Amino acid sequence: MRPSRPSRRYRHGLAAAVLAGAIVVLTACGSSGGGSPDAASAHGPIKIWYSNNEQEIAWGKQVVDAWNTAHPTEQVTAEQIPTGKSSEDVIGAAITAGTEPCLIYNTSPAAVPGFQKQGGLIDLSSFPDGTSYIETRTGALAKQYASTDGHYYQMPWKSNPVMIFYNKDLLTKAGVDPTKPPLATYDEFLATAKKIVDSGAAPYAIYPAPSSEFYQSWFDFYPLFAAASGGKQLVADGKSQFNTPEGLAVANFWQQIYAQKLAGNETYTGDAFADGKAAMAIVGPWAIAVYKDKVNWGVAPVPTATGMKADQIHTFSDAKNVGMYASCTNQGTAWDFLKFSTSQEQDGQLLTLTGQMPLRTDVPATYADYFAKNPDYKLFAEQAARTVEVPNTANSVEIWQTFRDAWTSAVIFGKSGVQQAMTDAATKIDQLASQK
Amino acid sequence: MTTSATRSPVPRDHPAAQAAGGAGGGQHRTPLVTRLFGRQPIGMLLAAPYAVFIAVIFAYPIGFAVYMSFTDYYFTAPGVTVPHPFVGFDNYKTVLTDPAVLASFGHVGIFLILNVPLTVALSLGLAVALNRAIHFRTFFRAAYYVPYVTASVAVVAVWLFLFSSTGLVNQILGPLAPDPSWLVNSVWAMPMIALFVTWKQLGFFILLYLAALQNVPKELYESASVDGAGAWRSFRSVTVPGVRQATALVLLLAIVTGANLFTEPYLLTGGGGPDGASTTPVLLMYQQGIQQGKPSTASAIGVVLVILVLIVALVNRRLTERSER
Amino acid sequence: MTAPRIQAQPGDEQDDDRSVPVVVATVTQGSRWRRWLVMGALFTGAVVFLFPFYYMIVASLQRSPNTSVGGAFPSLGNLTLDNYAQINASLNLWQSLLNSGIFTGGVLLGTLVFGVLGGYALAMLHFRGRGVLFSAMLLVLVVPFQLSMIPLYVLIARDYGLGDTYLGMILPFAINSTAVFIFRQYFLQLPSELFDAARIDGAGELRTLWSIALPLVRPALLTAVLLTFIGPWNEFLWPFLITKQQAKQPLAVSLANYISTVQASTVNPYGAILAGAVVLAVPAVALFLLFQRHFVSTDLGSGVKG
Repeated sequence: MRPSRPSRRYRHGLAAAVLAGAIVVLTACGSSGGGSPDAASAHGPIKIWYSNNEQEIAWGKQVVDAWNTAHPTEQVTAEQIPTGKSSEDVIGAAITAGTEPCLIYNTSPAAVPGFQKQGGLIDLSSFPDGTSYIETRTGALAKQYASTDGHYYQMPWKSNPVMIFYNKDLLTKAGVDPTKPPLATYDEFLATAKKIVDSGAAPYAIYPAPSSEFYQSWFDFYPLFAAASGGKQLVADGKSQFNTPEGLAVANFWQQIYAQKLAGNETYTGDAFADGKAAMAIVGPWAIAVYKDKVNWGVAPVPTATGMKADQIHTFSDAKNVGMYASCTNQGTAWDFLKFSTSQEQDGQLLTLTGQMPLRTDVPATYADYFAKNPDYKLFAEQAARTVEVPNTANSVEIWQTFRDAWTSAVIFGKSGVQQAMTDAATKIDQLASQK
Repeated sequence: MTTSATRSPVPRDHPAAQAAGGAGGGQHRTPLVTRLFGRQPIGMLLAAPYAVFIAVIFAYPIGFAVYMSFTDYYFTAPGVTVPHPFVGFDNYKTVLTDPAVLASFGHVGIFLILNVPLTVALSLGLAVALNRAIHFRTFFRAAYYVPYVTASVAVVAVWLFLFSSTGLVNQILGPLAPDPSWLVNSVWAMPMIALFVTWKQLGFFILLYLAALQNVPKELYESASVDGAGAWRSFRSVTVPGVRQATALVLLLAIVTGANLFTEPYLLTGGGGPDGASTTPVLLMYQQGIQQGKPSTASAIGVVLVILVLIVALVNRRLTERSER
Repeated sequence: MTAPRIQAQPGDEQDDDRSVPVVVATVTQGSRWRRWLVMGALFTGAVVFLFPFYYMIVASLQRSPNTSVGGAFPSLGNLTLDNYAQINASLNLWQSLLNSGIFTGGVLLGTLVFGVLGGYALAMLHFRGRGVLFSAMLLVLVVPFQLSMIPLYVLIARDYGLGDTYLGMILPFAINSTAVFIFRQYFLQLPSELFDAARIDGAGELRTLWSIALPLVRPALLTAVLLTFIGPWNEFLWPFLITKQQAKQPLAVSLANYISTVQASTVNPYGAILAGAVVLAVPAVALFLLFQRHFVSTDLGSGVKG
């Protein structure tokens, strides 16, 4: 005789749930941890992660070798993690499990508030020379990387100030002057873009990624907003700063671009600029090595409403920093290695091997020899002094996701009014930024 | 010793068989052991590795997820203690009143309505066709299986290319092509994902049916044709009941796959599609739980999803059981 | 014309991959026309199914990317094996394949040994906790990975200390629950006369399992192998989480890493990615081709005849 199904299932489900609960309690009780109070001055072997970008691997290997030769008792072991979408997920999971290394040379500033909330980052200001070293090296820009309590939980390392790359050959084909293309104001930019597409030189004028990941707005909205607002961040002191005439002007500019089909609204697999599908791109100096042989490129600052002078235009920094993580037992060595790898010499190596800008003051003058030999990078070095970082605020990722959702809806797909979407997003973001 | 041959073997889970089965084994055991451990306690030994595996690997994460959904929880480094206040059903309230979450469940519903019947019908039909000794049988079987085997990441790129606004499909369709194009069209985005997943998973389900078809005794087909049944009739009366078990499994797995959809919306429609037209609950769980560091609401979404799927699976079982009483 | 009658002849359904028509049938005109229709439909379907894969192969062989429609039928001058050579140069292909093999092999071992036992017990034996185990199995099938990902990682990497090990990679996948479900269903479908006969003869449960059930389970084993193989072979997220040492990473992870770095350095990065995907897919297809020939109708009725 079979018992009726629901009650048997219910009983079994209940039994299973109780069993699971018991196991949860047992495991939760079992976990322990915590660092020793002497970790800050301890010295010994450490482990680091850096990105698996070809050039950064070259830099990483040489800096580790240089250190290991000089410090036989404090060996550094290095592993690579990919720079792609999943790297923050991996770091977050590693923090929770306590398996992350001492230093990660691939820490995104947007992820720092989250890692800090997890208790995963070590306060660099707790070292006696922590704050002074960071502020001396990075100068005025350092303040953008401090957390809300004024301490530094990340070491600003390198930036990739984004500017407008354009394809000189495609511009010539479209009848635009490739040496001084009119790209300074929104109106000029729109007119040039229209000319490019109408002439058939390229299917699109520019092709930022139209997908909905939270970080995509860093490469369409944010650079132009940084320029238009004279260096403001998305959020400051718990309040959004983009629902202003300047911010709306940027949004309307992009909305025009998408409405006139000057940029594509479908994900493009591959690099549209390299493939000749788009005549322009918004990228940083890392792209020079990529496009060197593929495209005859030129570079200009991002457009502004009124055509500001180039030496006053700000842009997005696209920085990657270094964090020291909670599982580190030999923090003394980690701090020393951190200073070693961001010394003037090693920053110079970074510049030479990767072309990315170290976040230190007065890069053009410090490495004048390099820029004499590689004038391509000089413009970026000068731009690097005027960059804006993502705001270091609570719920940073969620704020950017909220913004991106509003952006794709109103600007890319024209589903809602730009003004209304920005206002709604600002309200939500104000709430998120003011949480602890 | 011979036993009589029966024309249609009675499956083990038929009510009559279950009532009669097992009677022989328990006769020389004491009633106490039987009461404590069941009629064939050796079963506990045989099932123990699997049971231990589930307990050790899954019980903790699943239990923990349920626990998180009732508290205000976020992951911390080991040794960092923060309060995890019990918040009752607050997370569930937040989640169930969030229009984005409700929309994502709606998208999954659309997906299931499109994908599940198509999958069952196509995979059974193709399995029957591929079971016959036809020319190029191996080629056909391999052709339908290959999409299942290729990694999503790579094959998505091909689909993005084929269905882009200047892609092959639109070039063939000409003026009939929708504007905006398929994957960025809020009406077509989810059906496109349904089509993609159907195409990709079909090999798996064809395989299940192929295996099940091997167990449908040939005598049944012979007796059906002797009775004058045509191809369609014998399909309906012999094949479909004969693979009933496989159909139950195919339905269950198709529903579970559809409900847990993540990779395809993430890759094919760039993380949620045009204006969020192809978000799914698991995509939101990933965004909230892993990217934004809010595992409590993510777990609440997950628990709601699991409950809904279990209900659907239960209904599914009831319906398929009832149909052959 | 009477309704078409198809009479099966001896020698039907033989395992024969050569294109020799085996079905000898007395057919009428209508039936032959239907057969051609079915073949035509199958062929069209196969072309549609294979086209993206074909395109993948073609694109992976191109020297420079040709994203136009004409690129689907490339000129011979644009074909090269460079993309494959590039992959081999950038990542240690054989080591990655070996790691994938170990990972998948471990999962197959666990599933085939313990899964069969578990499926048999769930189907045939009555013991306390059977219902709970069945419900738990269903739950495991239903719960998405993202829900359990971080606690699972904490459990395996921290509590069990299995980070950067093969065991840590294999453990969450060790016994595939879908396979257990299939084994259970398979055993349920076997005719009860087989087991009743054994019981009447006085055989104990283990003896029954060993001499009767296991020899018959081969078709289900084949299905389970083909279905269980794909999961760990293509799995990216879990091995990516659990291993950081490149020497231990399976091919799916190495390829994903390669994708994120390849943009900068090659002429046809898209082609290189697809070349990697083709390399990943080939062993799985080969395995399928090898096994699918065993999907022949076994005449179970003969097991119960005298």
